[in-house]
Amino acid sequence: MDPLERYREIVPDYSGFRAIQSLPLYSSGRINLLKIERASLLESLKAHEVGYKIFDWYPLGLKLDIESPGKLMENLLGYLHIQEELSMVPPLILDPQPGERILDLCASPGSKTSQISQMMQNKGLVIANEPSLARVAPLRSNCERLGVMNVAITRYDGRRFPHGPFDRILVDAPCSSEGRERRGPGVLARSSINRSLDLQKLQIGLLKNALRLAKPGGVVVYSTCTYAPEENELVVETALSEARLEKISIPGLKECPGITVWSGRQMDESLRRCARYYPHINDTGGFFVARLIKN
Amino acid sequence: MSPGSSRIRNVFEPMEREEVAKLWNERFSIPVEVFSGFLFFRKARSVWAISESDLPRLSYESLGMRIMSLKDRPWKPTTSALQIFGKHAARNLIHLDEHEATLFLQGESIPLTMKIQSGLESGYVVVFYRGEVLGCGLYSHGKLISQIPKSRRMADTGERVDIDDIGCL
Repeated sequence: MDPLERYREIVPDYSGFRAIQSLPLYSSGRINLLKIERASLLESLKAHEVGYKIFDWYPLGLKLDIESPGKLMENLLGYLHIQEELSMVPPLILDPQPGERILDLCASPGSKTSQISQMMQNKGLVIANEPSLARVAPLRSNCERLGVMNVAITRYDGRRFPHGPFDRILVDAPCSSEGRERRGPGVLARSSINRSLDLQKLQIGLLKNALRLAKPGGVVVYSTCTYAPEENELVVETALSEARLEKISIPGLKECPGITVWSGRQMDESLRRCARYYPHINDTGGFFVARLIKN
Repeated sequence: MSPGSSRIRNVFEPMEREEVAKLWNERFSIPVEVFSGFLFFRKARSVWAISESDLPRLSYESLGMRIMSLKDRPWKPTTSALQIFGKHAARNLIHLDEHEATLFLQGESIPLTMKIQSGLESGYVVVFYRGEVLGCGLYSHGKLISQIPKSRRMADTGERVDIDDIGCL
């Protein structure tokens, strides 16, 4: 069965959405201000004849015209971090401030963790939680390469992370990753409603615990890289008795509103404030982000 | 292994900032003030540094950055830590030219000219190129031996070796 067919009703320009799935995604990277100034990094890329284009919506994000960006000297020395374009969105929505206490509940491989740390100028504390021992290794090595000094790693099951309070929490949840098809073809072939419903149980558990751990008035950002409403709006809807949604809008990056009707069922109108990013609209991967304020 | 030693191996024990700063000052003449604003911990034979904050009571896998190994004598700074603190070094540092820097980043050993060696003491040194710290080198018998972790070497074949990286500084 075609796993995208069920999104025909909710995705604008559905044929454009289908067509772009087979087009590979360009490489991209984030300038790491913890180690280098933006102008110096751009000069260095020019000197090495690496073509780049700065994102319309984020001055630290670059599209890179190069085949193996991981081998760039700038990456090995931690001046640049190879990171997918839309993966840079959740930290901006979280908006962490220097000196705060932040929890990144599903942290590995640390792209968003290190971006959060950079936004905090290495001041304050980020708890980067990652239950899988195998996934702690890349998390640690990325943080160390990027000069991150304010991150402590823990290995709790995110649904049972013991105690807060935290000023802000990022739940970048494990998901069916349908939005990554352009990066790793075959993701869609493994996707199904049943798989989404299985993941939903975990996602609801993670979001529920995050809301428990946030301080009153604290920010919880929930994100996935999938289109499945079962893993997105239907998860966020379960949190609306404890938190309210804030509208997401990033100048230069077009979002579509969260959906409020699915499978014939009407959901909470405020779910429109979530953001859906589709690959054919900004020439990116696919992504979902919600910003919740705890009551 | 006795239960006592296993406890010591697996717990982060606070260390005095002065104790750490003194070692870096002795070897590299890095001003001790460079280390203010960080907390230091020892676990097994490694020293870790994290930005100062109130650390909640949790079971930690890591605290900030692993900055040095006390496993052997002399103690060894990590490349990651030198990239942060090493720029303040005034002693036991070396500036490479473009060709040497490339070899260094590929993990090679580099024979050094007499001019470059003046003032260097045997042991770990901070390696610079164009004013930026590349990482940790071992200077011994007229040679500079790159200590860049495998996963961060330029000749990297593209295979991920992150897990190996944990074991070697």
